[in-house]
Amino acid sequence: MIPAGNRTKILAFLCVTPFLLVVFMFEVAPLLAVTTNSLFASDVISASNYTEILSSRFYLGAFKVSYLISAATALVGLVVALPICVLLKRMPGRVQQLISICANIGANFTGFPLAFAFVILLGISGSFTLLFARMGILQGFNIYGTTGLVIVYSYFQILFAILLLLPGLGALTTEIREAAFLMGASTWSFWRRIGLPILAPSLISAYLLLFANAMGTYATAWALVGGSANVVTIRIGELTAGDVFSDPNLADALAMLLVISLIIPILADQFLLKPRQHHDA
Amino acid sequence: MMRERGWQDWVLIALVAAFQLLPILAVALNAFATDWAGTVLPEGLTLDHLRTITSDPRFIQSIYNSLLVSVGSLILTPLIVVPAVLIAHCYFPVLDRWMAVLVILPFAVPGIVLALGLLRIYSGNYGIVLTGTPWVLIFGYMPVAAPLYYVPIKNNLRSLRLTELFEAGRLLGATDFSIFTRVVVPCIKQGLIIGLVMNFTLAISDFVYANLLVGGHFPTLQIFMGVLNGGSGRKLSVLITTYFLVIFASTAIVVWAASRRNDQ
Repeated sequence: MIPAGNRTKILAFLCVTPFLLVVFMFEVAPLLAVTTNSLFASDVISASNYTEILSSRFYLGAFKVSYLISAATALVGLVVALPICVLLKRMPGRVQQLISICANIGANFTGFPLAFAFVILLGISGSFTLLFARMGILQGFNIYGTTGLVIVYSYFQILFAILLLLPGLGALTTEIREAAFLMGASTWSFWRRIGLPILAPSLISAYLLLFANAMGTYATAWALVGGSANVVTIRIGELTAGDVFSDPNLADALAMLLVISLIIPILADQFLLKPRQHHDA
Repeated sequence: MMRERGWQDWVLIALVAAFQLLPILAVALNAFATDWAGTVLPEGLTLDHLRTITSDPRFIQSIYNSLLVSVGSLILTPLIVVPAVLIAHCYFPVLDRWMAVLVILPFAVPGIVLALGLLRIYSGNYGIVLTGTPWVLIFGYMPVAAPLYYVPIKNNLRSLRLTELFEAGRLLGATDFSIFTRVVVPCIKQGLIIGLVMNFTLAISDFVYANLLVGGHFPTLQIFMGVLNGGSGRKLSVLITTYFLVIFASTAIVVWAASRRNDQ
């Protein structure tokens, strides 16, 4: 903290107010609105939206599918990105920065562009579908379902994982590796006994953020599968904008349950498990 | 000793690169294909689809709208967020701790939930109507983009010895403001560039906010893609290819401009 006189502090605080105002108006207030709306059903305060969801096979099924897709693709992201990041760390800083910038573009390559790109390759008459059919493998493959979502989500999950892991890998210095190998550790035992335990906190944080990223994905699921995809975000969208199923309060309750299921593990990880280094992403 | 595992590393990189690049290449190829149905590779190449779509006024309109929102976000967001990050870090440790919570929120709260909240508040229920205008997008992206500046800038700030820096600067008669603009800001250049690049990509790639909050009133590139998704795949391919070129070009410009300005 820099010591400063009152005048400086007041001026400084004035420069922060626009930010606080924006955070309140466009982050806190919308969340409060969703929270309060979720507690109303037919203009009366009630928990009926929540009981309806928690006793509905349909909505619980949506949570289950979302959880499975998110857990799987977060794992794919980590498993693929970790060795890539280890390799990248040995390359010059310029290369790392270039890869990060490309990974950022790719991690945002979601929604219609991504879904359509995969349909060209793996859709009903996609290049790879035809190629694999000729080779006699993957007969009857259908991208417009849960398998398709896992493949397509993996596209941005891998890149997002690279972005999340790359800064944290600094903890694994060359000295540690060399020391371990000098003492006769094999690559396998190095990773099992030293590498992974050192990286565990970053890996856990990254996994949770990847999981949340997949849970919150709406555009890609909508673009690839449409309304028949039984994932939570599609159900929320349908209840908000749908003509047939519109029920804004129920949508808000569904949104709240989604947020609660994500925010508890993430906040616990960020502020309880490692209070000292909580914002070293 | 470090193990040399050359070929395995390259196999892994090649596989991942193929998975990441093939979809993009497929779209680009489809944009120029004459006929590509029932075959592994297209029959021939043509510029016809490019011509049909560039004559569609909605195409130009959607590019214009997307750029308007992205550039607006790219000007307003750092102007509001970066001073707050710097000031909280330097003068207000309590605020700084709160900021760490606020900026982790968008990671934990999915875009569709925030968009839902914005829809509830700014579609007239509370006397303010922002939906249907670019403003709801520009300001709506701001809290989501804040962590993209906060995290890399904080990393830069932590390596600076700010107390000494301010003491020295004040001793030489500099105001805090000029210490910020002349010393601190150039030192956080790298974090700022990362923030700008990520902010731009976020704004131009968004579908969720645009779909729920402005929709057909202010069709952005992603909205127009959704419109075309029902029809001809070739037009959509041209649009996606254009979108990619716009993102790459703009990213290059942001990186170039940001590194140039601070080199002087």
